[in-house]
Amino acid sequence: MMTFRITLLSGLFTLSVLSAACSSAQTPPKAPPAPDAVVGMTNTLRFEPDTVRVPVGGTVEWRNTSLLVHTVTGDPARATLEGSARLPEGAEPFDSGNLEPEAVFRHTFTVPGVYGYFCIPHEGAKMKGVVIVSPKQ
Amino acid sequence: MNRSHRPPTSHTSRVFPAVAALILLLSGLASSSALGQPMAKQLQKLKALAPARGYVIAHKDVKNPPKLFGGPISVTVTQSSGGVFVALPDRRRLDTYVFGTPSMPRAFAGTPGINGVPPPAREAEDDHYTRMKKPSPFGDKYLVMADGRMELHAVDATAVDGATTEDQVRFKASWKDKQGNTYEVRCCGMLASHGMEFPTFGGVVTNHILHGVTRLGTALMPTEFAYVAFWGMGEVRKNGKVLDKPRLIHGMLTEYVRGEGYKLAFDDEVTPTRMQFHLMIPPFMPDPPNLSFTEKPVKTGFTLPNGMELPFWHVMFENLETKAERGQ
Ligand SMILES: [Cu+2]
Repeated sequence: MMTFRITLLSGLFTLSVLSAACSSAQTPPKAPPAPDAVVGMTNTLRFEPDTVRVPVGGTVEWRNTSLLVHTVTGDPARATLEGSARLPEGAEPFDSGNLEPEAVFRHTFTVPGVYGYFCIPHEGAKMKGVVIVSPKQ
Repeated sequence: MNRSHRPPTSHTSRVFPAVAALILLLSGLASSSALGQPMAKQLQKLKALAPARGYVIAHKDVKNPPKLFGGPISVTVTQSSGGVFVALPDRRRLDTYVFGTPSMPRAFAGTPGINGVPPPAREAEDDHYTRMKKPSPFGDKYLVMADGRMELHAVDATAVDGATTEDQVRFKASWKDKQGNTYEVRCCGMLASHGMEFPTFGGVVTNHILHGVTRLGTALMPTEFAYVAFWGMGEVRKNGKVLDKPRLIHGMLTEYVRGEGYKLAFDDEVTPTRMQFHLMIPPFMPDPPNLSFTEKPVKTGFTLPNGMELPFWHVMFENLETKAERGQ
């Protein structure tokens, strides 16, 4: 299971530094693989789209497209309301921590099933989403 | 108000129709000097009926008000980044738990908007209230603004209202609009050592229930537990320049009172397990000789889409760090 977070700005900076460093060796920088689904986080306290489907081993990328600080928290232990978070049996909880405006968070799902996640500061405003991870065919 | 359309009804409704237009005060659209004689009289009556008036009278001149049981509490609340929610004028939906029904109204006395809401300012269907007739700072509409920062250091040392207080507040908050203008609020040059229409507990109160049915502050906010709240006089700035001073500033760290779509909760929809900080600068000034309030729009420097200047600030901060301990 893999989880990481970067900000768009620092990510771009890293890429440009990398490409400058590598240009003499003529090797293009290795971009991270494209996510299987992208979810935005809004000023209206929504994950958009609120439900995404990915294959097992797939990665979801959350982009904080709002001016607010949000979290992506798939951890029933951090939820205070029923229905905010749920995990399939055997899946590890995940939590982005505070995501500033423009920050990006990725999580790779290795256990199939239905994941319910939420945003900690906006749990009361019912800011939550679902990831459906389908098993290998 | 068209007097010829006034139905000849019971005493209660004869008192109240004249007051209906007073609710314009809530949106800062009218001034008391523009009110007719009868309406000004009704407003005086409503103010005189503020529910905690007697309590405030018993406490306001106390020279050495008692200290907080168990000793002072020091509180720090901060938001260091992210956005804020700026409330826009809206017609608040009315909660039966707080406002009763047309046949048994509750929460009507005090300065309209600061404390109660007169029944003629409420829309009703059958025997229940639906929403306010005019907009107020309390409702479901909001804007998100960037770069919200807030820092509150408060000490709750004095227990009750009095002529003096040992409570302390240092407060600073700022946020930015789309054009990059910075709005800032600072408090408190002076703390409200006693309240006007409701107690302020020396200017700072901790671990107390406020608003809604309590009649401590406006009934247009739901009944909510406040970990800390303060009332004092401070200033309003835009891009570093003072626009309005002194202004009544009220801040409070409470349980979460918004629901899906950021709708302002009714009493049975509050989320006790999450927190919010509210900053409120109402379009009113304290009127100490009369233990009341008079209408005065805030010079916020922020223009609404309709070209009118926003006459109040009601701003919510939601990614907070908090710390509290006994002792100063
Ligand atoms: Cu959120």
